[in-house]
Amino acid sequence: MLIALGLTLIYGILHIVNFAHGEIYMLGAMGVFYAHVILKLPIAVTLVAILVLSLLLGLVVERAFFRSLRGRWLQLVVASVGLSLIIQSLAWVAFGIQEKHVPSFFTGIVSFGGVRLPVERLVAAAVGAVLVALLYLLVYRTKVGLAMRAIEEDEETARMLGINADGVAALACAIGFALAALAGAFVAPIYSLNPGMGLEVILMSFLIIIVGGLGSISGTVLAGLLIGVLQSVGGVLVGAEAAYGLVFVVMIVVLIFRPAGLLGKA
Amino acid sequence: MKRGLLGLVIAALALLPPLGEPYVLHVAIVVLIHVVYAQALYVIMRMGYLSFGHAGYIALGGYTSALLATKLGISPWIGFLAGGILAALFAWALGTVTLKLRGIYFSLSVFAFAEVVSAVFRAFEVFGGPAGIAAVPRPALFGTRLNTHLQFYYVVLVVSLVSLFFLYRLQWTRFGFTLLALRTSATEALAESLGINAARHKTFAFVVSCFFCGVMGAVHVHYLRFVSPFVFTFFLSTDLMVYVMVGGLGSYWGPMLGTVLLTGLGEQLFAAGYYKSLVYAVVLLVVILAVPGGLISLPRIFRRGAREHAVPEAAEATAARER
Repeated sequence: MLIALGLTLIYGILHIVNFAHGEIYMLGAMGVFYAHVILKLPIAVTLVAILVLSLLLGLVVERAFFRSLRGRWLQLVVASVGLSLIIQSLAWVAFGIQEKHVPSFFTGIVSFGGVRLPVERLVAAAVGAVLVALLYLLVYRTKVGLAMRAIEEDEETARMLGINADGVAALACAIGFALAALAGAFVAPIYSLNPGMGLEVILMSFLIIIVGGLGSISGTVLAGLLIGVLQSVGGVLVGAEAAYGLVFVVMIVVLIFRPAGLLGKA
Repeated sequence: MKRGLLGLVIAALALLPPLGEPYVLHVAIVVLIHVVYAQALYVIMRMGYLSFGHAGYIALGGYTSALLATKLGISPWIGFLAGGILAALFAWALGTVTLKLRGIYFSLSVFAFAEVVSAVFRAFEVFGGPAGIAAVPRPALFGTRLNTHLQFYYVVLVVSLVSLFFLYRLQWTRFGFTLLALRTSATEALAESLGINAARHKTFAFVVSCFFCGVMGAVHVHYLRFVSPFVFTFFLSTDLMVYVMVGGLGSYWGPMLGTVLLTGLGEQLFAAGYYKSLVYAVVLLVVILAVPGGLISLPRIFRRGAREHAVPEAAEATAARER
């Protein structure tokens, strides 16, 4: 869901559907493997390094590709696909095809009245919730957030009012990238890692942002919860792969009855 | 002259192959198949829509024909058509829902659709599961199975020439011109004000595009004699898009140029591995940033450059008058 949020943020501000997002998520997870497991850096240092690097990468990508193609959405989407292919193929070459595993950051199991949960999943969920809250505060309670929403509404007017649209767009892109990389870092101990993991995740994120409404943060959160539940319940009932089909059917139904998504603006 | 050149190319395609080695024929078959895919994708990219899931419709066509042939023993000739029709039906269903919305909903839905198709093929044993379907037969003609590369080459040649001719003619029909008018939201509104049902036109274009992908997907599977969920993946969808963008959206010959260059040369230079999609992606980004019109627009750019160089005064005079 963090990935979907990053995507929705970038779409909302820049009107770009960023296909490279899944790859950033993959790089975040791989970063944990190489920094924490191979180089044995402490986990806090690893996370800060990933945060800084992904912010920088977001700025660079916005500057190098997205800015010069602003307003031509076909070229933009295609460019992001190209970027995604480049990162993924380099990752296969650099990281190899062998699946990688990261030991848990936190061990132990808590039980709530009979329900037993591993601590690391709780921490991942808590971190996710905190980041969602922070993002919400940033977009709806700060001046920068106001500028972001102004650009989303009407970029030309926003520019006339003296808003640095390029700067805000770069910031949104950087934050989106950082969300994806952190999401990757936190799920690293839960899944086994390979360079193709980004593609699976981006599919789910696209379904989530379509169902929630493109560019709507609260819609994304709602749809993320809904689809998460649907997928795990469906996975138990009909198997994980067929559950994709189920989620897809839900998306079609939503598109028929609420074409702009659950909480999207038409 | 153009017509003569075209006739020459077709004659060469029809007459030269008996001289070719099997490997050359293999490359020719692969290139022809991909040219049709790219040209079919071009139908919808020409109207400003982007699909990241054409591989899903190609897979639908391929699986349909493979299942009909292996489970029911139905002739692949019928299978080709059935594959196209099934792909077209699914395209119609998805198109009806999503093509009323902005382009991005369509692109993402088609992408999701293709991934779901592949997941469903993987999940159920009826479709062969992850292993796919093996021993898909080649079609037979007058009692002989077309087992050699040369025999199958002619099947591919005929199917692709018919498809390409149809897709070419489609551009110059009233329908084809209407699609061009739907490319931007402003011209789309204009077209609708003239009583054109934009959503229905777009859906029909998508159906046509997927029909040819389905037919060619079936041909492709009977060529490989095998299909699995990992044959037609997201990477095929993106490769097709790369061919179209690199070749150029401005002309019917652009996607063809891109496909022939990148598949023909690419298959040779980078036989396997991740370097192929790396090179494709780099070429794509370079072309998008440097030559937005694609390679097909290069001659025009050079010609215009030469003319502007030759008569700068005249151009300036015109500009002055317009001011």
